Amino acid sequence: MASGGGGSNPLPYRPYRLLRTLAAHDRAVSCVKFSSDGTLLASASLDKTLIVWSSQTLTLKSRLVGHSGGISDLAWSSDSHYICSASDDLTLRIWDAQSAECVKTLRGHTDLVFCVNFNPQSNLIVSGSFDETVKIWDAKTGRPLHTIAAHSMPVTSVHFNRDGSLIVSGSHDGSCKIWASDTGALLKTLIEVNGPAISFAKFSPNGKYILVATLDDTLKLWNYSTGKSLKIYTGHVNKVYCIASAFSVTYGKYIVSGSEDNCVYVWDLQGKNPLQKLEGHTDTVISVSCHPNENKIASAGLDGDRTVRIWVQDT
Amino acid sequence: MNAPIIDPLQGDFPEVIEEYLEHGVMKCIAFNRRGTLLAAGCADGSCIIWDFETRGIAKELHDKDCVAAITSVCWSKDGHCILVSAADKSLTLWDVVSGEKITRTTLQQTPLQARLHPGSAKSLCLACPLSSAPMIVDLNTGSTTVLPVSVSDTGAGLPPPSRNKFSDGSPPFTPTAACFNKYGDLVYVGNSKGEILIVDHKNKQVRAVVPISGGSVIKNIVFSRNGQYLLTNSNDRTIRIYENLLPLKDGLKVLDELSTSCDEVDEAEKLKAVGSKCLALFREFQDSITKIHWKVPCFSGDGEWVVGGSASKGEHKIYIWDRAGHLVKILEGPKEALIDLAWHPVHPIVVSVSLTGLVYIWAKDYTENWSAFAPDFKELEENEEYIEREDEFDLMPETEKVKDTDVNEDDEVDIMTVENESVFSDSDMSQEELCFLPAVPCPDVPEQQDKCVGSTSKLTDSNHSGSPLSEEAGQNGQAMNHASSPVEGNIILF
Repeated sequence: MASGGGGSNPLPYRPYRLLRTLAAHDRAVSCVKFSSDGTLLASASLDKTLIVWSSQTLTLKSRLVGHSGGISDLAWSSDSHYICSASDDLTLRIWDAQSAECVKTLRGHTDLVFCVNFNPQSNLIVSGSFDETVKIWDAKTGRPLHTIAAHSMPVTSVHFNRDGSLIVSGSHDGSCKIWASDTGALLKTLIEVNGPAISFAKFSPNGKYILVATLDDTLKLWNYSTGKSLKIYTGHVNKVYCIASAFSVTYGKYIVSGSEDNCVYVWDLQGKNPLQKLEGHTDTVISVSCHPNENKIASAGLDGDRTVRIWVQDT
Repeated sequence: MNAPIIDPLQGDFPEVIEEYLEHGVMKCIAFNRRGTLLAAGCADGSCIIWDFETRGIAKELHDKDCVAAITSVCWSKDGHCILVSAADKSLTLWDVVSGEKITRTTLQQTPLQARLHPGSAKSLCLACPLSSAPMIVDLNTGSTTVLPVSVSDTGAGLPPPSRNKFSDGSPPFTPTAACFNKYGDLVYVGNSKGEILIVDHKNKQVRAVVPISGGSVIKNIVFSRNGQYLLTNSNDRTIRIYENLLPLKDGLKVLDELSTSCDEVDEAEKLKAVGSKCLALFREFQDSITKIHWKVPCFSGDGEWVVGGSASKGEHKIYIWDRAGHLVKILEGPKEALIDLAWHPVHPIVVSVSLTGLVYIWAKDYTENWSAFAPDFKELEENEEYIEREDEFDLMPETEKVKDTDVNEDDEVDIMTVENESVFSDSDMSQEELCFLPAVPCPDVPEQQDKCVGSTSKLTDSNHSGSPLSEEAGQNGQAMNHASSPVEGNIILF
């Protein structure tokens, strides 16, 4: 499973091209994510709805309606049955992806809920909010298990590591912190409050590294045990929005991110050099997601665009 | 995974009650291999499986046949099955994911303890009945093989001569303790004469004997998880730790070799000579002041700590020793006698059951780790003299913060490889291990309805866990609300 033994990426880069443009939202699309088994794609929008698409046929399967405020983030459960959405109406909702029904509403946050994720076992949900707290919920009963006063400004990103024991949170206050998911205790402050606002943070697939995006046009890959930043990726524009990035591991190892210059950027993970700029969106690309098994990328554009675009590799 | 950033300075044993679980009257508990699920056998014959991460109920195993109180619970190694022994003399094997019974047999006597064979077959188990010799039960056929409990036995299960006899001449039999070794090829039996017998259960033969000085009745016998230490609890109020000198696999082969190389002519002496090469007494624990009768002693998951419970005079006390024999902690719970105890396989958490049916979770008292607040903060164990450089505090006009150049930015970063956790590296299973039960979100009830939507559970208590010492009032408030709206939580969707 490890990437090639000596030196640079052995696989020559095969460029991505636009496969399809999906236009079905009435407002900016805030998030797009492939399901864990790759069969479905979900998109969330400021038009207060989520759409579930078939990732094979790229047709609309269902629209999840119920939130009374725009939706900022969504997460799939590991068995691809449930979607959890984070909304401006202060709540999170758990939806059954098959039946398109809202199963549960999680209330507790006192300001916009901005980011959400399931743990790998999918019995816990972590959410970050503009009320500066991180909450851990029991997915089955909806009970908030822990409320962590995590930051001093809105929490922009929360993510579980591979075995669900750790949570990383990033915030506009510039700090990136790691918490124990069973007790809610602070384990480490990766980045101090002094620096630029953190717009996104997530663990690498093996849980050893954290990819952190900051609002100074920079993406960094950190080794959190040593506290050192190992790689820096630049060339894109990120000063305002919380743009989600992703690891692409199905072909070679790449970092994929959206950008405020309306493009999707792909960098070589090891060499840090930008490999491709995918053009097509007509507004900031706010979210990207890589298919778990195929060489496919989904990207979402803000209000001036309102589309989800699917990119595949040239054959 | 998070080992590098956990503070190693704090001792690795629990200190306070973190939470308690309530659901009916629970009598006995067992963790699955990874400690993600906790099975609890209840007085009404059902078995509850708790999701230990969310402290909520993941599954309930019960059917109309099971109404008698559960006496013991045991997980299979791959976590897919649970063996339950009950007061109506039955043994039931459940499939955890489906919640269905796989098989059920009835014995002649109530088994106080039943343990599944550690292999993957899941058909054999070791049952220790109320007052007869331990036996191997084949769960599929229901056949039982009684194990010898004394050297004079020829395997027919004859009771040894005893001082007291019943009026009809049949000798009373004290419950004999027994357990499998790590791979299940041998059974270690602790009998009423204070002897540890190493038994080859396939051939019903005693292969070695280790007498304990004082010869008092052995009440419990249990191996550490890595199979290297054996613990016995005797009527003389002493817990003894033995080092296992036999190899973990191929123990029988070594026993054969020891037997043939032994010069003793007398059979009994020969067995003792072989026995002396199988177990070596390592430590003895007792409370010489209060002379407590220990209950449910066991090892911690890594074998570093030994824990024993005390219920004398109705107390709920847990004693923790390190393996070298030093008493490190006494945990005292509410005035409800302790009836069962288990140490979490991985974390420094102990779970105890009280007579009232509540399950208490003991964990470390969480203290803020100051070094967690700043990236470059390091905690010191003691004061260190710091001698600064000559120019360290001088103000330099063009001082720029020098970036750490000790990281080579061209080094390869591996984001995919996962290391196996050494704790679970003894996995030799072909079937995928069951680590957790899928959490199906319970549907919300629309707020307008006043009456309860029909609850399928016959228990009135709703799934509720309370934190008597919780700092988070909000969370406690939620738990309270939970109790007053019984609709959520107890509806199993499977």
